Amino acid sequence: MGKSGAGKTSMRSLIFSNYTANDTRRLGATIDVEHSTVQFMGDLNLNIWDCGGQHKYLDNYLNEQKENIFGNVEVLIYVFDLETTNRESEYKLYDECLHNLEAYSRDAKVYCLVHKIDKVAEDQKEATVESYRRALAKRSELFQPGVYGTSIWDHTLYRAWSQIVYTLVPNMAVIKQHLMNFCRLTDAAEVVLFERATFLVVCCTAAGGGDEDAITSKYMGVSQVIKMYRNMCLQCQSPFRDIQVRNKHYTLFIEPFTKSTYILVITVDPEIEPAVTKANIDAAKNHFIKLAD
Amino acid sequence: MNAYAGGRQSMGMYGPDNMGVGLPGEGEAGDIEQAKGDELAERRVLFMGLPRSGKTSILRVIFDGEQAYDTMSLMPTQQRTEHRLVAGISVYDFPGIDDFSDTQYSVLNPEIYAGEHTSLVFVIDSQSDIQSSLTTLFTVMRTAQSVNAQLPINVFINKVDGLSEELKQDIQHDIQQRILKNMGYENLNVTQVHVFLTTIFDQSIREALSRVVRYLVPKYSSLETILNSFCSKSSLDKVFLFDVMTKVYLATDSSPTYPPQYIFACQTIESMEEVTMMCSGFVPTSDDDAVLQRINVGLDGNDEFFIYQISPYLLLLCIGSPEIIRQTSLLEFNSSKVTKAIRQILPC
Repeated sequence: MGKSGAGKTSMRSLIFSNYTANDTRRLGATIDVEHSTVQFMGDLNLNIWDCGGQHKYLDNYLNEQKENIFGNVEVLIYVFDLETTNRESEYKLYDECLHNLEAYSRDAKVYCLVHKIDKVAEDQKEATVESYRRALAKRSELFQPGVYGTSIWDHTLYRAWSQIVYTLVPNMAVIKQHLMNFCRLTDAAEVVLFERATFLVVCCTAAGGGDEDAITSKYMGVSQVIKMYRNMCLQCQSPFRDIQVRNKHYTLFIEPFTKSTYILVITVDPEIEPAVTKANIDAAKNHFIKLAD
Repeated sequence: MNAYAGGRQSMGMYGPDNMGVGLPGEGEAGDIEQAKGDELAERRVLFMGLPRSGKTSILRVIFDGEQAYDTMSLMPTQQRTEHRLVAGISVYDFPGIDDFSDTQYSVLNPEIYAGEHTSLVFVIDSQSDIQSSLTTLFTVMRTAQSVNAQLPINVFINKVDGLSEELKQDIQHDIQQRILKNMGYENLNVTQVHVFLTTIFDQSIREALSRVVRYLVPKYSSLETILNSFCSKSSLDKVFLFDVMTKVYLATDSSPTYPPQYIFACQTIESMEEVTMMCSGFVPTSDDDAVLQRINVGLDGNDEFFIYQISPYLLLLCIGSPEIIRQTSLLEFNSSKVTKAIRQILPC
């Protein structure tokens, strides 16, 4: 949800379809609600309702259609447009959405994306998001929204969506446990699981723990780079499959893993031959596929 | 006075020369380059054109990694600037030539065009008045050929982004005809004229610059022979020797080079650079030696890539069928042999 021109459809096309940031310029205003179903992690079906932000539609959602729109919602993502001239109307719409959500889907999670953050100077970004965070915390005590600054031009969009989707994957704890085992058994330094279609980070672990947030942030950038490279490969009729990087300090693998995931493995121990790591990855594939079932 | 100081391991090489000082009236107190006495490198590319044709934008994007959109706000270049490629080739960015500046005198100094390792690039703005660009081009060409009839003249038809394929072909054809006709009138040598369509918004500028510098690379025919032998012994389809910083290729084997292939290769290298940058946390800061990468990129099409980094400045990019590229030990062994050979030719 969000006002017209905030960037909802652009975001959706970038993450879930293979649009590049430039391609999103071609998008027109969304007519009423665009429904799409995305398969995530194999068995998770995400029904995405991209609600057009023009006045006539908003009126509709908030009145006649409110039960339809706001019932059975798992996640509400509200997009704030940093370019807007009318901040008050954004907040007003936000309040109304939350009000309806409270009535029909009390258990929903709410995320607020402060979009087009690339318009703000680098040193102001954190402060801007923080000010939104505080304002929104006051307005939505019941829902406690997660607030992120995003832009289609860098990895921040991937970071926000990774966080959103992370909470949706049902057996995340189990996956994580197994990934940690894998990490330990292969003597890897870091192992990251990406969702295959969107290349969002699903899960990551590091040998011996380590600051999860920092690691996750790092791999958001990889998400974006690989996704863009993959799009380009498609255009050149040579679909992307895998990458292997070897040098004096580390060996990096990015490989297809299960039907719906990609795995990234980094080993730093020079004693480990790359072929061994590759064999380990192949051996683990079956295990994780069974796990998904 | 000999020019080439062989054996020096630094990236750029100046040839001490006796090429004459700039004409009086040219260059002010702040004009450092010209005050030094017009010392130009022995292997050089001269970028000239009318003001706002895009010379500095092109060079900033290639050499300084600037974003194409950011170059829209560049101020006019006031003095000649130098950019260096790894093979000891210098690219000189001249201020725009117009009736009101002193540049018109400096480009009429014939001695800058002398030498067998000199190449001229003339940048034309395809979206503005072409005839005035051509008039200036002809003036420059006359001066240049009076000294060096074999000087390669490369015309970059710039700012073709947003034009349709047909229009681009038309413009290129039109300009080529006009140049040939005019040179015919003046009895100038047309054999060394090449025309390129370029835009800073894609890799066409790098492709064009690669072709320009190819014959300026020291011992390029030896490099080509080495790469040919590498290709045939390893059963590869294509191999490029890239300058890491600019993504311009310095040499390739003698099979035909298709621009889409080069462009794909270029973007692959860029993406891989970004990925490895994110993993730079694994490189201990105490390590001063450069981290030399070996990268395999697996694709589901006809070809896969193998990237072998020779030095912080040079890398080999090999294109071949999947079965071949996956024989990593063979490729790495052959690559190391090629590296030894290349080290004897280029500083790296």
